[in-house]
Amino acid sequence: MITNKMIDNFIDKIPPRPEILQDTIRLLNDGNLTKAAKTAEQDLALKGYLSSLVNKPLYGFKTEVSNIGQIFGILGLTGSQQTVYNYMLSLLCPKKWVLFNLNENSFHDLQINLSIHWKKILEHLNIKDKEIESAITLLPASIIVSEALFSTKKKDVELLRSVNALDYNTILVKLCNTSLFNICKTIATKWDMSEQIQQIVYASSGLNPSKDEQIDTLAKWMHLLLFYELSQPMFVKAGLNDFIDFQLEYVQDIYEDFAKVMDL
Amino acid sequence: MRAMIKNGIGLFSPQGFLDGNNSASFLSIEDIEITLDLNADMILVSLKKVIFFNKNGLDVFVKLFSKVKKKKGIAVGFCDYDTKKFTAISKFYSTKMDFSLFKSYDIASLFSNSFKNKNKNVLVYSSDRSQRTAMAIELHDFGHNPVVCQTFKEFQEKSSNSTAYDNIIDDTFIGQMGQKIATRVAGNAIIYSVSAFLDTEIANSFNIAYHNNSLNVGFRLFIFDAYKVISMNIHALNFFSKLSTSAAEYNATICFVGLDFTKIPVSFKETMEDSGMLFYKQMDDILLNKELLKELGASSAANIKNQRVIDKAIVAKLPNFIEATVATIEMMTNSKAKKEAVEVNKIEIKEKDDRIASSIGFYGDIDGMVILVFPTKIAKKACELLIGESTDDMELILDTLAELVNIVGGKIKSLLGDHGVTVNITLPRTYQSIDGLLEVIENKKGVQVDLIFDNDKFLFFLTK
Repeated sequence: MITNKMIDNFIDKIPPRPEILQDTIRLLNDGNLTKAAKTAEQDLALKGYLSSLVNKPLYGFKTEVSNIGQIFGILGLTGSQQTVYNYMLSLLCPKKWVLFNLNENSFHDLQINLSIHWKKILEHLNIKDKEIESAITLLPASIIVSEALFSTKKKDVELLRSVNALDYNTILVKLCNTSLFNICKTIATKWDMSEQIQQIVYASSGLNPSKDEQIDTLAKWMHLLLFYELSQPMFVKAGLNDFIDFQLEYVQDIYEDFAKVMDL
Repeated sequence: MRAMIKNGIGLFSPQGFLDGNNSASFLSIEDIEITLDLNADMILVSLKKVIFFNKNGLDVFVKLFSKVKKKKGIAVGFCDYDTKKFTAISKFYSTKMDFSLFKSYDIASLFSNSFKNKNKNVLVYSSDRSQRTAMAIELHDFGHNPVVCQTFKEFQEKSSNSTAYDNIIDDTFIGQMGQKIATRVAGNAIIYSVSAFLDTEIANSFNIAYHNNSLNVGFRLFIFDAYKVISMNIHALNFFSKLSTSAAEYNATICFVGLDFTKIPVSFKETMEDSGMLFYKQMDDILLNKELLKELGASSAANIKNQRVIDKAIVAKLPNFIEATVATIEMMTNSKAKKEAVEVNKIEIKEKDDRIASSIGFYGDIDGMVILVFPTKIAKKACELLIGESTDDMELILDTLAELVNIVGGKIKSLLGDHGVTVNITLPRTYQSIDGLLEVIENKKGVQVDLIFDNDKFLFFLTK
């Protein structure tokens, strides 16, 4: 059904980080928000993405904000970096989703929800680290990878899942001896994302806990946050709720804290 | 959300958080209907992967349960929870709980018609005396050996010896169990379970289309498991008489097992006997008696009056059948198939050793039967994905093979549907030996396609 060759083909097709984005991220890393904004202006698609993001009701602006300098100012250094990463990931999205009932807007909403709640979590954990804040942006890559690999096998997978509760990650591991999260790591490497980001997202599958205590704690919060979002009606209807297995035991010890942070 | 169907249980498994806002997105009446079409006789929602739920969230499911139970008469409820969740649900619905709670899927299976007569030793405890009794009666009826603990202390003592029991039941609540006439296959016989007082309602709860098509695809022995029948009226008698008459046209037999005539008029028994129905005390009197099975037509298809032949309509759809089979086996083994030969004739199996087989019938716009003969090695490999590991346990392999053939059947249904041909599928049958298979289909003509998977020969046979 899925072969290692198909996975290799998918990875080969992932474009390298575009030059403008590379420069924008480098400038953001150097803390140069103004120059980063000027660079970002050159990529019209990125400009449109940023503009549609800050003009969502969530940000509550009465008049439309379209100037990239202003947008980066609103988002701040970390928020801007996170948003550029989110944009990069959105470049991997299919034009038409087949496996999951998603579209450009709903995937964008998922990215934003994850980012906003992740920020809240890191505030609660008292963590101020640009790389850790940006780690959340890589998480939805697991959804894109599932879509890319399984969309042509949708009916087969549905039949398989009607007799055995197998999630996409397990199917991939059994067939190809690699996981969705391994592939996410490969994407991160290709895009020069930091090792720390890769480790947090890899451990957030809940199946491969990290030996590093801080990374493991963050991975638990990320895993639980993902399922909090995937329990929202829009994403349940999109067929995302059970695309990977929720590791309830893995997150049990942080659940009470999570419930407080999310006002449950 | 799609359900997983195993042992006749349709299991929905939401993950994460359940509240009044999102529960309706997890499960709809259409999801349940699709599941029931696939022969589920119990619908459960697993709470195994749910970390948070509230009453509003569960209410959505409970309302659906109520609708489905009323309309279809099947058992419904929740399963896979811990004591904390059990206590919360019991508290939410303390005044009225007309659904069931099963601590685990395995416990629910003990109460499923498709998992009957497994003779499991089951330790049972509930603080509610009437629940203890209800569970014991149900378990006994389902062919298990319940050991009921009267006190929690007794339960603690007995349950500490975990090897003494196959299953230990606590934190479980039996709501009203299903009233649907459940269907299962044992060998080449179809067994229907009926219970309580039989009246005109039997005509509604009996799936006559399924029965007729089981006749069409070659089943010749139909057994009514009637241990739990209290009595019946003239409407039920007429129903059975008609059923028996239609069965006679196919040279099929209808038997009743465990029917107690103390509260049924003698004239009813005479009418039933005159219609050709047979009566046995125990299920094993039939199922363990090979001679009798042969006599009743359950081990041979040779006595079929109207031998059905494969026709043009079905052969025209052959590519769909092959595609469904090849795609599924390729998917499960992650290997490529090569077609070797296609021939219209009686089935010819050159190598019988190290082979197991399975069949599945389909009925609707066209009807027939697909038979798959697997080299044991391929069957094991194909089942590995479903089992989760490699195994040599033949019983497990055959059970899993039935699931796999169910997938093939589902795919056939879907592919034919894409071409405007509507069919339903029967329950799959498995054969541990090729001789067993040949007893049933030796004389049937069909299309045989020899395929090669990983240098091993795999046989596909399509017949009527």
